[in-house]
Amino acid sequence: MRAEHEKSYVLFPLGEERFAVPAEAVTELARPDQLQTFPHCTPSVSGVLLRRGKIVPVCDVASVLVGPEAPARKFYLIANCQRESGKEWTAIPVTGECELTSVSTEPEKPAPRAPSYITGVLAIGDGTLKIVDLDKLITMEARG
Amino acid sequence: MRHKRPQPPPSPASREDVILFSVSGFKFVIAAGAVHEIRGLQGLQPFSLGCISVQLAKLKYTLERSGTTYFVVDAAFHFRLTPSHPSRLLILRNIPAAVLVDSTDRMMGISALHGLPQAFTHEERGWYRGLAVMDGDVVPVVNHNAFLSKTEQETLRESLGRLQGATAG
Repeated sequence: MRAEHEKSYVLFPLGEERFAVPAEAVTELARPDQLQTFPHCTPSVSGVLLRRGKIVPVCDVASVLVGPEAPARKFYLIANCQRESGKEWTAIPVTGECELTSVSTEPEKPAPRAPSYITGVLAIGDGTLKIVDLDKLITMEARG
Repeated sequence: MRHKRPQPPPSPASREDVILFSVSGFKFVIAAGAVHEIRGLQGLQPFSLGCISVQLAKLKYTLERSGTTYFVVDAAFHFRLTPSHPSRLLILRNIPAAVLVDSTDRMMGISALHGLPQAFTHEERGWYRGLAVMDGDVVPVVNHNAFLSKTEQETLRESLGRLQGATAG
């Protein structure tokens, strides 16, 4: 039975690190898929995926979260992100399979100097994971 | 966890004929109705505004055709691609412009035009009318009016006027 204050998160790996996003923001966890590209000038978008007839833009945020040394991203977390005129599915490349977990404790506050897209810290097992606000992160990326 | 949220449907399923072409290894389509003629590169006259208009550096040639001067846009330059090896010219309808492309493939029909995702926020919003899915490939549907926009036509007229004035002076 789910406790009233329990909250679900999707945990995604980027190299050695794992991050968390609230599960309600996630639409789908996708297996490796063919990234399609065409000429454009938006630096935060690396291409599009064709998922069940829908065209989904791919925003690679690995360099922001873990730096330029992130290993190859093979899987996609598809989130419903806020854009200027509504929500839009957006694929985030991740390095391995994602997990779903439920947490009944309140997340801790992020470090004072943490970027604004880190909204909290989850204690899971022996470690901690940063909670990412994908809307904020992608908006910041889009603005360069 | 999987939410079924309504996605904006592609625009109405009226079939549109398009011409598939390629530039610098990328495929594009253009509405067949926007193209007056497809031809080789014979008859092109070198054209340059020099430093008068850097903005119009994508114009490389002119073509005189049936009493009309067409300004020839290098599609690779227009789409910020590496220089390519054009072999075909698409003469556009209703605007005095023609487009240098590497090759034209075939004419085919698309039944749905998908909007460009909002994640794309830069110049490509003007370049494309949307995206089409063709045999599993996502191909941009070009906005033919963007090859030589009204603003660019105005700049061109002004620059040519200045150039003629300088020559006469």
